[in-house]
Amino acid sequence: MMDDLSTLRLWLMRAAFLLLALVLLFFHLLPLDTQPIALFAPDLSPPLATIDPAEARLRALLDQGSDRIWIAPDLLIAFALAWSVRRPDYVPAVLLAVAFLMTDLLLQRPPGLWALLALLACENMKTRGRTLRDSTFGAEWLAVSLWLIGILILNRIVLSLLLVPPPQWSLSLLELGMTILTYPAVVFVTHALMGVRKSAPGDLDSMGGRS
Amino acid sequence: MAIDRSSSNDFGRPLRRLLLAVIVLVLAGIFLLWRIDSPRVERFRAQITDRFVPNLEWAMAPVTGTVNLFRDFQSYQRLTVQNQELRSELRKMQTWKEAALQLEQENARLLDLNKVRLDPRLTHITGVVQADSGSPFRQSVLLNVGARDGIVDGWATVDGIGLVGRISGVGENTARVILVTDTSSRIPAVIQPSGQRAIIAGDNSAAPPIDFLENPDLVRPGDRVSSSGDGGVFPAGILIGQVAADPGGRLRVRLAADFERLEFLRVLRHHGSEKVNEDAAVIREDGPRLIAPLPIAPETE
Repeated sequence: MMDDLSTLRLWLMRAAFLLLALVLLFFHLLPLDTQPIALFAPDLSPPLATIDPAEARLRALLDQGSDRIWIAPDLLIAFALAWSVRRPDYVPAVLLAVAFLMTDLLLQRPPGLWALLALLACENMKTRGRTLRDSTFGAEWLAVSLWLIGILILNRIVLSLLLVPPPQWSLSLLELGMTILTYPAVVFVTHALMGVRKSAPGDLDSMGGRS
Repeated sequence: MAIDRSSSNDFGRPLRRLLLAVIVLVLAGIFLLWRIDSPRVERFRAQITDRFVPNLEWAMAPVTGTVNLFRDFQSYQRLTVQNQELRSELRKMQTWKEAALQLEQENARLLDLNKVRLDPRLTHITGVVQADSGSPFRQSVLLNVGARDGIVDGWATVDGIGLVGRISGVGENTARVILVTDTSSRIPAVIQPSGQRAIIAGDNSAAPPIDFLENPDLVRPGDRVSSSGDGGVFPAGILIGQVAADPGGRLRVRLAADFERLEFLRVLRHHGSEKVNEDAAVIREDGPRLIAPLPIAPETE
């Protein structure tokens, strides 16, 4: 009976992760950000008002003041890593691979590569989860940051080797920084709101049979 | 208990390793396949998008609307000031409107005299923007019109004022528009009034640089940039924007289209410019002749 309940919970949590990935993807795809990041926009030298005052006036009127100045962190990989450290059995490799490949396809990335690297990072964090469980959060944060930096660089190296133009450095670094900075918040949400916690030795027994 | 756990893990571990290896191989295989045969995988991507995104439409529309509503609050703050300015401007416009009406009538009379017909082949299909690229690295949007509506890869997309992008990737119900700001976008353009040809190469910034310009001295800031139609898949004469320079002195285009909020886009139907089929003659003498009439005439006799 106990076993049934925990199996049910296990599958529920797996479904929950897939749902989480879909929700994140959904918010990525909302047609709100149709202009490039304004952060690196160069100042164009003859101001429009001096050449074409009417056009400048029109643009000022139409301007909704919603310049895109920030980059969203890559929450999916942050959640995947946080879940991998805490409950490896909730995020089996197949599930991770499907979720990452899906985002690769829908977010116009070279399909497969990022999924592969992210999967490797998650799998490594799973094996380290045992040791990280007893240490402080700082150690986990450091390990996660190192992995994020590592796969970012690996991604660029592979893309460059295969002559695919890699994404812009500035944007990649910004996104990386945002992801690392939001990781504690992601862990908090994972732990407190989603109830994905590091298993105490007693809990693991019911899961022990699972591969 | 501890022994139990470790033994069960040992039992499952080789299997899990094997599974992981298989997944890794599959992912690597997909990536390599994409690298080798990109069009096929991109078509697959378009199909997946075609299946996936329209299903989210019911949820996306209200959420987008809500977010836009909150964004609008920012502009509401300026509302009264703007309103007064607009009133005074409207008064001035009234006089211009009279002038414009007179000119329109005159223009209509002249067109009638000339029997001018606008190109009937340049019709358009209007699509609604369903989704964006989803990442800051790529600039593209997904339209809710696709192969079903006769959309073809390469067609131009405008927002009513200026060029927005080019269709790249058509699914049954959706089509992806690569915006001119995307890093992979290259649009052949002509700069008026000097008539210089150039390529507008997107670089993920709001003002794409002008590349391959023959003589930059002839180009002045404020010059009109429009598509040149070189390459045959793209209609000529669509407004792209105005020439401007960045602090480094590089020429860029200040885009005419409003990218801040793309909602409805027009896809221009284009049935191809005249093609040069006998391209061999350009390179080799014994190829089919391009400048045909004189040599062919004796052969047909």
